[in-house]
Amino acid sequence: MTTLTIFIIGALLSISILYLVRKGKLHGPYATWWLMVAVIAIVLSSFPKIIDWVALHVGITYPPTLLLVLAISFILIRMLTMDLALSRKEQKIRRLTQRLAMLEAGLEASEKDKSPGGKAD
Amino acid sequence: MKTLIVIPAFNEAGNLAQLLPKLRQAVTADILVVDDFSTDDTFQVVRNYGLACLRLSIQLGAWGATQTGIRYAKRHGYDYVLTMDADGQHLPEEISRILRAISDQHGDVIIGTCPHRVSRLKKIAWRFFKLISRIRIEDLTSGFRVYNQQAIKVLADKTASLLDYQDVGVLLLLLRSDLKIKEIPVKMALRQDGKSRVFSSWVVVFKYMLQTTTLCIANIGAKKSQ
Repeated sequence: MTTLTIFIIGALLSISILYLVRKGKLHGPYATWWLMVAVIAIVLSSFPKIIDWVALHVGITYPPTLLLVLAISFILIRMLTMDLALSRKEQKIRRLTQRLAMLEAGLEASEKDKSPGGKAD
Repeated sequence: MKTLIVIPAFNEAGNLAQLLPKLRQAVTADILVVDDFSTDDTFQVVRNYGLACLRLSIQLGAWGATQTGIRYAKRHGYDYVLTMDADGQHLPEEISRILRAISDQHGDVIIGTCPHRVSRLKKIAWRFFKLISRIRIEDLTSGFRVYNQQAIKVLADKTASLLDYQDVGVLLLLLRSDLKIKEIPVKMALRQDGKSRVFSSWVVVFKYMLQTTTLCIANIGAKKSQ
């Protein structure tokens, strides 16, 4: 029964992601990541034996632990990469703000040069 | 030798009105005020004195504003950048001494220091940071500094844009880039009004301590010895 639930979740997830990409609300690498998650959910729910097989070979006696550990690890990794991306964004915003201030001042100065009589206010 | 004096300012209209005339009398260098998204008429005050003012459209904090001035200096080919606070703590008459120290090539960065000015609590914080970062500089937070072209190049770079405070992070970056930092003692005035932007409330202090500690730990072993 749980496998069916997970299958449905996976299916809904893939449909939502494709929909969001189509609407232009989710961009490139993020969409790929989420689609991968959905596909893995579908595959694992269709063939739950995969987990048992892998767990057996890495020596885990209770297979669901493997699933949980892997899931949490991937969530943590994903969160770290999100913070990396946010830091990059922050850096870009700061650089742009600084650049904008410099360009604005330059623009004002050149406007003043053009009209020596009138004060630009 | 082209020198640019950079003054980051957030709501400093009153202080700037006192500082700028004195400053213009004391020095011949160009003066640039960076207005960090002030809500008072900082920009207008600077303009009234006919001085250049860059206006940030998003608040970037003291370091972000200072870096704007440093990038401006790099773009316009200045040889030296002198940074000072707008609140009147740094005295215009001390500028010539600091500038002389750098043109005599005592170092790539000269810091005007006045360790007596700070509270005991702040001194404890400094000692802690010096211990974990192995920086051998007396005054970590003084914003009264001159940078030469090599230092300007390092600080104008992208890497420096993610720093949040201008003290330990900036010093670590400079040391990592193999630049020499020298200190000379200067006189400083007591703060005329307003409080330190860094040490303003306990939450802010706590955040600052945590972030700076992380920064120091991350930089262990990354720099050449000073």
